[in-house]
Formats: sequence, C-alpha cells, structure tokens
Amino acid sequence: MAARLNPILAFFAIAAALPLFFGASGLFYDAFQSIFVFALVGLGLNIITGFTGMLNLGMAAFMAIGAYAFAILTCDIYPFQVGFWWGLLLAGAVGAVAGFLLGAPTLGLSGDYLAIVTMGFGEITLDVLKNLEAITKGTQGINPLPRPTIGGWTIELQDERSWYYLLLVLLGVAVLFVRRLERSRTGRAWLSIREDALASQCMGIPPKRTRMIAFATGSAVAAFGGALFAALLSSTGEPNSYDFQVSILALCIIIVGGMGSVAGTLVGAAVMVGMNAIVLVKIADWFGAGDSGSSSNVLASPNNWKYLIFGLALILVMRLKPEGLVPPRLESTATGVPPGPTVSVPPAGGRA
Amino acid sequence: MKKRLDSMELDFFLQQLITGLSNGMIIALIAIGYTMVYGIIELINFAHGDLFMLGSFLALTVLGVLGIDAWTGGGTWLGVLLLLLSSAAFCAGLNWSIERIAYRPLRASGKLSLLVSAIGASFILVNLGLFWGGLPLDVFAGGVAAAAPKDFPPLVPNTNLLGEDSLVQLTPKDLLVLGVTLPTMLALTWIVTRTRLGKAMRATAQNPVAARLMGIDTDRVIGATFLIGGALGGFASVIYALYNNTISFQMGYRAGMDAFTAAVLGGIGSMPGAVAGALVIGLVRAMSDGYLETRWTNTIVFGILVLILIFRPSGLLGSRAKEKV
Amino acid sequence: MNTLPTIVAAWLSLVIAAASSAQNGTIKIVSSLPRTGSANAQTGTIVNGIKMAIAEVGGKIDGYEIAYEDWDDASPQRGNWDPTVEAQNANKAVTDSSIVGYIGTFNSGAAKISMPELNRAGLVMISPANTYSGLTKPGLGEANEPAIYRPSGKISYFRVVPTDDLQGAVAAEFVAASGAKRVFVLHDRELYGKGIAEVFERRAKELGLQVSGMEGIDTKAANYKSLAQKVKFSKSDAAFFGGTTQTNAGQVAKDLRSAGFLGTLVVPDGCCEEAFIQAAGANNLEGNTFVTFGGLPPAELTGRGAQFRDGYRKMFDADPEAYAVYGYECARVLLDAIRRAASKDRAGVLQAVAQTKDFDGALGRWSFDANGDTTNRVMSINAVKDGKFVFVKRVGDAAAGGAAKGPETPSDAAAR
Repeated sequence: MAARLNPILAFFAIAAALPLFFGASGLFYDAFQSIFVFALVGLGLNIITGFTGMLNLGMAAFMAIGAYAFAILTCDIYPFQVGFWWGLLLAGAVGAVAGFLLGAPTLGLSGDYLAIVTMGFGEITLDVLKNLEAITKGTQGINPLPRPTIGGWTIELQDERSWYYLLLVLLGVAVLFVRRLERSRTGRAWLSIREDALASQCMGIPPKRTRMIAFATGSAVAAFGGALFAALLSSTGEPNSYDFQVSILALCIIIVGGMGSVAGTLVGAAVMVGMNAIVLVKIADWFGAGDSGSSSNVLASPNNWKYLIFGLALILVMRLKPEGLVPPRLESTATGVPPGPTVSVPPAGGRA
Repeated sequence: MKKRLDSMELDFFLQQLITGLSNGMIIALIAIGYTMVYGIIELINFAHGDLFMLGSFLALTVLGVLGIDAWTGGGTWLGVLLLLLSSAAFCAGLNWSIERIAYRPLRASGKLSLLVSAIGASFILVNLGLFWGGLPLDVFAGGVAAAAPKDFPPLVPNTNLLGEDSLVQLTPKDLLVLGVTLPTMLALTWIVTRTRLGKAMRATAQNPVAARLMGIDTDRVIGATFLIGGALGGFASVIYALYNNTISFQMGYRAGMDAFTAAVLGGIGSMPGAVAGALVIGLVRAMSDGYLETRWTNTIVFGILVLILIFRPSGLLGSRAKEKV
Repeated sequence: MNTLPTIVAAWLSLVIAAASSAQNGTIKIVSSLPRTGSANAQTGTIVNGIKMAIAEVGGKIDGYEIAYEDWDDASPQRGNWDPTVEAQNANKAVTDSSIVGYIGTFNSGAAKISMPELNRAGLVMISPANTYSGLTKPGLGEANEPAIYRPSGKISYFRVVPTDDLQGAVAAEFVAASGAKRVFVLHDRELYGKGIAEVFERRAKELGLQVSGMEGIDTKAANYKSLAQKVKFSKSDAAFFGGTTQTNAGQVAKDLRSAGFLGTLVVPDGCCEEAFIQAAGANNLEGNTFVTFGGLPPAELTGRGAQFRDGYRKMFDADPEAYAVYGYECARVLLDAIRRAASKDRAGVLQAVAQTKDFDGALGRWSFDANGDTTNRVMSINAVKDGKFVFVKRVGDAAAGGAAKGPETPSDAAAR
C-alpha cells in the first residue's frame, strides 16, 4: 500500500518544494505549468484507457471542449461571464456531457474500432471549432480569459508562482478524486471490465454502463485540464492547438508513465512535456550557440533534430521500461494475468 | 438549354467519381500495409504513413540522380517502373528494419508499448524526411528550403484521354493508379490465399502460439509481412507522387490517417475490407468537396465512419468478433 | 522505485544550467518564430535577414555588444507554432532583463498570446509577418481588440508588414482591373488566409465582381482535384487563394491548373517565396498566376533596398526572399532604435521604436503610425515567369513610400 502511494506523494512533495530552490525563472514555471495541465489530461485518459481499457485517440477533443466551454462561459465578448471558478466547473461538466454523447452510441464497439471513432471525433471537433465562427470565433481563438480570484485576491497572469501552486493544488484535488474513484466500487468495476469484460458481466457488472461512467468521468477531467490550459494562456489558442498530435501526446504520457497508474501519469507528464519544454529547448540553446548563419544546411540547425530526439526517446523508454516508468502494482490485476493492463481487442480467434 | 445543363451536371458527377476512385485506390494501397500488420501483430503501425512519405523522397531522388524526367516516350514508362521497383525495395527494407529494431523486442510487452514505439519511429522518419529534403539536389531545389513541399516532375502526362474539349478529364494518371493498384491487389490476394507463406501468415494471425507449435517460424512470417506491407507502401508512394506531383515531409500524417481509417472502416485485418474502406473514403471526400463544402469534408467522412461502425461494429467487410467463452 | 528521483535530479541540473544569465555591456534581442516543422523554410530567411542587419552594425552599438537569440515557438508534436511554447518564450523574454527587443511572431495567433505579456513588461515587439488587422487596428477585429493586447495602455507592438485589410483589397482591385467577371475565393481557414480572403471577397463584390464561391480548404489534404473541378465547372475566370506555401498553396495552384482552370490566380504574400514556385511547379504558374507583396521585389528595390539585396546575396549566396526583407527591416528598425535610445533599456528602446519616423528602410521610407503599423503602403503585384517572380506593377498608396520611386534616387543620395 505504502509503496503504491509513495510516488504520488513524492511527486507533490518535490513539486511543492521546487519553487523554494529557484528564483523567478520563467522557463521553470512555464514548463511545470504545462506539465500540470497535461497531467490532468493524462489523468482523464488514464481513467478511460488505463483503468477501463478503452483506447482513446481523441483526448485532445475533450481538452478543446473544456477550453472552449470555459472561454465561452467566461470571456467578456459573450453574455455569460460566469467567472473563473464556475467556468472551470462547468467546463468539466460540459466535458462529461460530451463524453456521454460520444460514448452512448459507440461504447459497444470493441478495441480499435472505438479508437478510430474517438480519433474521428477529434477531427470533427476541430472542424466544428474552425467552422462555426459565430460561436467559436473560428481560427481566431477566444481571448482574453478571466484570472482566478480567491477571496478578493486576483492571481495575475504574470504571477507565475501563484499560478504554479494553484495548478498544483487543482492537480492534487484531481489526483485525490481519481485515486478515490479507483478504489471505489466503480473503479474496481472499471479494472474488472478491463481485465475480462465477459467474466465481470457474469459477476453482475453492467459493461456498457460501467464503460460509460469511465468515459464521461475521464472526459470531464480532461476538459477540466483543457479549461486550465486556456486560462493559463488567457486564450483558447487556435483550434489546431487541440489536434491529433495532442491526443498522441496524451497517450504517450500515460503509456510512458505506466498504464493504469496515477503516479505513472504524473511522471509521464513530467517526462513527455518536460522533454519538450525543457530538454529540447536546452539542446537547441546549447547547439545553437555557435550558429554562424549558414541556414541553408538543414543539419546545422538544432531545431531540425527535435523530431528525431523525441522519437528516439520514446523508443528508448519503451525498450528499457516497456511497462512504463512507474507501472501499476501487480496486485491490481488480481489473478495470474500479467502486469500491465491489456486494452480490449477482439479475441484472436475472431479474425480471418 | 435545360438539356445542356443536365449534361454538365452529369459531367461534373462523372468527374468527381473518377477523382474519388483514383484517390481511394492510392489510400487503399497504404491501407493494406496497415491492415496486414494489424492482422498479424495487432499493432496500429503509426510509422507506416511516414514510411510511405520516405518512399516518395527516394523516388524523387532516384528520378533526379538518373535524370529520368529528361527521357522521352517509352522511356518514361520504363522510368516509372524503375521508380516503383526502387521505392518498393527501399520501403520494404526499411519497414523490415523498423520491425527488427523497434517492434520485435517489444512484442512480448503488450500492445501499447508497441504503439508508443511506433509513434517514436514515426517521429524519426518524419525527421529523416526533413533532412532528405535538404539534400543539395536539383530536384529538391538545391535543398535550400528543406521543409518546403517538393514538386514531383510529371512523368505521366495530364492529357485528357477523352479529348481536349471534354469537360470530364480522364488522364493517364488515373490509368496509372488503376494499372498499379489492381494487379498489386490481385497478386497479394494470391500470395495470402494460395502460397505457403500466405498460409503461415494467416496461421500466425489467428494464433501465434499455436502457429509456432506447428513449426511456423513466426518471426520470419512477421518479418515477411512487414516486407510486403512496406513494398505496397513504396508502390503507393510512387503513384501518389506521380498523381499529385507534390511531396512533403509531413504528408505521411494525413496519408496514414486516411489509410488507418480505411482499414478500420473496412474491417481491420481484412484486405478486401481495407480496399472497400479506402474507396468509400475517396468517394465521400470527392463528393463532399464537389457538392457540399470542403471545410466540412472531414466531418462528413468521420461522421459516416461513426455511423457505419454503429450499425456494423466490425466494419464493412470485417467478420464479427466472436467472444471466446 | 528510484526512477522518479533520478528524473527530477536530471531536470534540476538542466534548470540550473538554464539560470546562467547575461553579462553586462550586452544588449540582447530575440526572435520567436516557428523553427520546427514546415514554416522553417520561411522563418529561416527571416532569421537570415535579422542576422544580416546585426552583422551590418558589426554586432555592436555604442560599445554595447548586440547578442541575438533565435527562439523556436513551435514544438515537434505540433509541427507548427505551439501556444504553450509561445507563452513560454514571452515569459522567458520578460524575465531576462537584458532583452530589449522581441522580434516575432510569424503567426498572428501566436502574437495574440505573447502580446499582452510583453506589453505588461514594456518590452517592444516587432513582427515581420503578422497581418491580422485586429492586432493593431480598432474596429477591424473583435470589439475588445486591440485594447486587450495593451493592458499597460501603451503601445508596444509594431509591425513592418501591411495588414490584411490593405493587401486583400489590392488583390481584388487587381482582379477587377484584369477584366475578370466571376471569381472563386479559396482560403486555408487560418487567421491569415481566411482574413485576407474575406477582405478580398468584400472588396470584389464592391467592385462589381461576381463571387461564384467561397471555400475553406483542408490544408492537410493530399490534393484538391475535386475542389479544382468545382472551380472549373463554376465558369469562373479568376480565383484567389488566401493562404501560404505552408498551407498548401502550391498544391492548390497545381490542381487548379491540372483540372483545366485557365483563369487568373492571385495569391497573397504568404506565397511570395521560391518555395511556392517549387511546390507548385513553375509550369503551372507561368503567365497567369500573380502574387501580391507588401513592398517591392528585390530587383525593383533602390537605395537602402538595393543595398540590402546586394548584401544579402553576398552573405548568403542566394537571392533574398520576401520574408527576408521583413526580418531584416524588423531588426534594422530595432537596432536603429537602440542606437537612438537615450537609455539602453526596455523603456528607452520602446520609446525610440515608437518614435520611428521616415525610416530609410529596405521596403521604402516609412514611419510607425499611432497604432504601431507601418505607414508604408507600397505594394507590388508580381507574376511568375520562367520559374522566377517578375515585377508587374506597383500598387497601393504611394504617398508614404519615398525610397522606391524609380531607378534614380537623388533624394536617397541627398539624405545620406
């Protein structure tokens, strides 16, 4: 038990202590704010894919729905203007409804068929955000967005440290919520559906309803993350900020971290987003120092190596730690099933 | 006047039909590579689209180095054949190597680790495509702007076979697509259904453990699957380049997504299904572009996909998965 | 279980390494442009232009060393500009007090993210490529624009490129003057492309042209053959594409031609680069494709502009592209302001940039107006001949452009 909780506590302890050691380095705060936001999206995906075993390739759509719901509910060019906190909560609710609406007709689909439906939903969401200009402002993005107020005190956008702790606290709340869910009756039903849908159905667990709850909950958490993503930028950015690549990033976060593991999701977000926000930037800085202007040589610019470094890192992590950096406990799979959850696919016998 | 208008409408419809089928057949060749790999190791091979992209870069390089676009008459068709063969060989070899390096060691550790490894491979291939575009060759415009899309010389002419004053265009390009795709698919069907290798592939797909017990070298069979899938990607890359006349290091993304969608739409693991799915996507895209608004085309394609899957949960031609009890 | 501490330790060392700051006597300027992915081709020439401007002053102004850093606002996952990275760049710039100038962004959407941040810090921002009108001009964007980008109340954002509302109109006027009757408008559904296409459409209708269709394309599509057929069957005699090489302008042009569309095709300055010709194939553009550009092409430049062109050729062994001039102009106006600034800090430089008047630039003689926009309204229409851009004519308001009048430049000589 203690071994399971430790990495999570360690993550928060370290994260809470970090600002004490560093001054106002913008890079540091920005990188970690992104990490926290993507950790939230990862937590949402972890419920859907990690706990319940449904491969979801459209997580960015729910992030986008959260971001746009938050923006439309709070920005001063719309009539609602419900304020930061209500906006955040309602964005999560809208995410849950969207998850429900997508899930209702499609959750009966197995494995990769569901995966492609979610990917398609991601593409449809992008088109809708771009094309319904009257509502979403098309590719312009919606800005500015309100800042959070706590008892009359407003956290300004440039107050990086307060934002850092705000996000850390909200992430902490989400982690507590997800951990409790995981150990609740619902959460145990998710895990059992993941391991063997048929057997758990025989035990009286309704597979469709259980999947649906997971899908809606995960979507809500991701939408919550999306709302914070927009709040942090004070803009939704353009719809392309929520494209397929972001869904892939979310998937990499939970798999690199360790599928089905909350601690893994946190570490995965730190590694994947941090690689982007810190490591690649540093590499470019170091190698770019001696750049003398011969930009015609494609190899000379360190920026041109980023895809390669990112790809190699992914393959290496998987080679060295195939179950992720912080795999879930063996015990969670109860029986002799190998550790590391399996995503449900049609049994091998069914294919020609 | 009324009659004239009707014939124009018919022309327009026929035109979109031709365009849709040609685009669909290109997608089909890529989709088969996806579906074969999926069928045998249950991996959504994210790197396949980018492999296809590199195939087209090789084709352009070969074309540039040999100066094929300067050849005339029959030599051009010989040149096309040369490009097809070189890209197919290259993609087959590359796909096989990727399987060896990035997938095989992970095969035992679960589907999702494999998936991430494939995503990683995809990023690496994209980067290689970027570097490739920076080669100081004339066909890459000296490689000055490595990231810019590259023009692919029109080896196959765009002349209208229905006569230059016909509104409907049927060009040698369309025939090329058909002429490469159809025989390839027939050959593939023959390999899978009639040869020893095909039998071994089907056995491995059904149950790798049992197949191994029966004395099938599953590693070799999987390697062969990647070889064949890669070769198809190579063919696709050349006809794509000759049909669209532009290649770019980022084109693998959409090509891969279309092909993956086609494979699933048709029923993943099923080769005729992948072809059917690809043709549906090609046609829906063409009709939506032609009769509705282009900006909604993706929504319509994926909307239809979702609808089809709701009513046929295993795709158009996929067999309904039976639960083992 | 020790993976987590290991990772954290690795990162701490990185963060510490990052904390090394600038030395005294150094003034830093940075650019924030998408350097990863497909925009790299264009941003590369912008960076060249910036480097050239710095090299021209010998990397030194009044004894201060000018340090330049080329920042990336794209990420490999996105393959394009990334709002998170742009926000991060803005923050990084704000916290490093040795930075007195921020050149960027490439995408107007990215500017929306960083503008308020930099404005609060009083850090001057000059864009070589943002053309979305709402960033500076009241009444042309949303109701709350541009005020939301100026939380400090002062103007700190400037641009050397003409905005969409000018360029789109010029393109429509050109199409109308060419004798076309029906025009089909295409755009890439991006901030830049769509904005300019909408202006084009509005102006075309005012001029009595019939707009036979307006379509937003899918920029990642393999081809636009179906759409091109739609344009051909619409019997249009002209087409406009609002977009850039990056958003597939080359393929659009190519497919229009191969579908048998023979009318005039006009594209904006996002396509005014060799890469567009390469992508589209020179044959497909020959004769009836025109590119609008916010300035004069290199061959037509005189005075300062001619010096730029020749210098660029010497330094980079290539002809400068449209974006190179914009980048060069940004850096020069910034360096000029640093030279003039009474105090070489942010406030001083910002004030000096705002006071830029009758600047003898490579794009002409121009000033920044009260909104932070260039007063330069000289634009050109260019065609493609034998795979090269050739100058067709000069359009727009000539009143503000002094340096680029004709072959002889007595005023320039006198000014120096």
